[in-house]
Amino acid sequence: MDNVLTVRGLKKSYGKQMALAGIDFEVRPGEVFALIGPNGAGKTTTLRIIATLLTPTDGTISFLNHDLHKEPDFVREKISYLPEEAGAYKNMKGLDYLHFMANFYARTPEEEKAFVDRAVEITELGDRLKTKVGTYSKGMTRKILLARALMTKPVLAILDEPTSGLDVLNALEVREIVRRYVKEGTSVLLSSHNMLEIEFLSDRVALIDKGRILDSGTPDELKEKHQAKNMEEVFRSSLR
Amino acid sequence: MKRFLNLLKKEIKELVTIQLVVSLAFTIILFNFIGQVSRKEVQKAIGVQTISALDLDGSTSSQAILTGLESARFKIERIEGKSKEQAIDIARGGESKLLLVIPSGFGDSLKDLKPSQIETYSYMRSFSLIGARGQVVVRGVISALNNVLSDNFLREKLPGLDPASLKNPIKSKDFVIVQKRMAEASASDVAGMVSSQSLLIPVVLMMIIIYSSQMVISAVAMEKQNKTLETLLTVPIRRTSIITAKMFAAGLVGLISAGIYMFGFKSFMGGIGGDDLRAASSQAGAVMRQLGLYFDTTGYIVLGAALFLAILVALAMAMILGVLAEDFRSAQNMIMPLMFMVMIPYFISLFADINTVSLPVKIFILAIPFSHPFLVSQNLYLGNYGLIFGGLAYMLVVFTVLVVFAARVFSTDRILTMKLRFGKKKTAVA
Repeated sequence: MDNVLTVRGLKKSYGKQMALAGIDFEVRPGEVFALIGPNGAGKTTTLRIIATLLTPTDGTISFLNHDLHKEPDFVREKISYLPEEAGAYKNMKGLDYLHFMANFYARTPEEEKAFVDRAVEITELGDRLKTKVGTYSKGMTRKILLARALMTKPVLAILDEPTSGLDVLNALEVREIVRRYVKEGTSVLLSSHNMLEIEFLSDRVALIDKGRILDSGTPDELKEKHQAKNMEEVFRSSLR
Repeated sequence: MKRFLNLLKKEIKELVTIQLVVSLAFTIILFNFIGQVSRKEVQKAIGVQTISALDLDGSTSSQAILTGLESARFKIERIEGKSKEQAIDIARGGESKLLLVIPSGFGDSLKDLKPSQIETYSYMRSFSLIGARGQVVVRGVISALNNVLSDNFLREKLPGLDPASLKNPIKSKDFVIVQKRMAEASASDVAGMVSSQSLLIPVVLMMIIIYSSQMVISAVAMEKQNKTLETLLTVPIRRTSIITAKMFAAGLVGLISAGIYMFGFKSFMGGIGGDDLRAASSQAGAVMRQLGLYFDTTGYIVLGAALFLAILVALAMAMILGVLAEDFRSAQNMIMPLMFMVMIPYFISLFADINTVSLPVKIFILAIPFSHPFLVSQNLYLGNYGLIFGGLAYMLVVFTVLVVFAARVFSTDRILTMKLRFGKKKTAVA
């Protein structure tokens, strides 16, 4: 089966500062592919380019065999992006926010309702969705944003640090939601610097630092290759 | 279209907050209240006012002055049998704003054709201009009496001659010519009327531009501050639709808000002006119509087009400034360059004539897109259609360039990387 996403020789620089020095990877259908690395490694830049927010300096990106740079509108129909520090419109009620976002993707009112129903199920926020987003806790906001990203069953969900800033229980819930929706056919490209989270969630991992991919493979493959007990040791080993 | 309407609905909902509705309602109530209070004060001033009078002469002439004042709708409270000092104290305790003291021998002096003196004491119980009207009317009455007395004297000494011709042998009849039309009026009066006619244009323009621009800048800056912009830019909607929706919503809400403010302002001005002003306006209106200094349907369409284009230019500029703003707070400062661009032509139009300023200053003024709506009314009156349509075309070009630039900014990395921090250089952030 063809890859959902194929990235080749991707480069990005901001003036003289090189953020990505030529990276290659691919995301297969129904898998969770994770980019892990320290702050400033180039994870967010990579995700932003794939989410059609930034233009690459060089390299090619193929999404479902379409050139991402030439057909951004096609890509936006099929992906969803959850930025690390995303927010929702604070004056909107949770339910109104979900309807507002669903309206961009749905072709019929029935489809919009189905999207919102799915999002309501994901959030498990019940009646709190009838209150304004501005009154939500960080965990609740993150859940509604994640629900927004997954409700349309996108071909590719791009999740930047999905559990960033959440407490243990909320983070666990978010990870479970992601795993559940991958089973329904959505591929996930995520980034994190939480190695344990990556081990729990990902099918395959790419270790990234200073704009370069150091190594990639399944967590087990990488642990075996680097003779490491966990992904943290893999990362330390690959830096050497 | 469905996606555009979805976004437009959201933008309008975000702009029309309870705070905005309350603020608009409060403004109308406040303007109306001030207008009503002012109207009452004007009516009080125009209506019957009390003047205290101490007539120490008791002659026919002194009686004529007091009767003259009564016929000018003043209520005269006569103070009898008191000295001047006592009368000043009595009037101070009362409500009258003016004490008139006619000294003894007043009538005899008039008969002997010697200058006679009347003393007036104004009690400044407030410092409003309306409050000082009493003294102005007394002066008017005295001036009228002076005329009557001097006319009587001249008729007596030079029978058969018209006293008015003797006193003013040279008379002037003023005419004003505008292009091919002519009317009997003074140039200063016509200039004053034209300026008062177009007084509302800069006020309306300022209000709409400030409101709408502030809304667009804030709308973009709030998307950045609330971290919703990145998500919005990845949903399947064209970037130009995002720009258009934000501009359209801000323009619509700005127009309605400005309209409501102007309605309040009009009721306030109507309150102050009262019936007298309306009567004066109808006379002035006849002169203005005779000179062709009024807007017909075409004039209103041209003026409307100029205002509309100015608003579009302001919104496009605000969109770009909003991208530069880092957050809502810096967005507040971003409005300043726009404000200056509106205020410069406004003040220049108040104090200078664009046609007589030096060429570099003229180019500078005409280069500011917001100058053209200020100049439209004058140019319409003077038939300078080249300048009018040149101005409209210029604004259209500026608007197109700005929208293309804004669309480019929204379609590239700049929407996320352009930032303007005051005191720092533009920076690109990963």
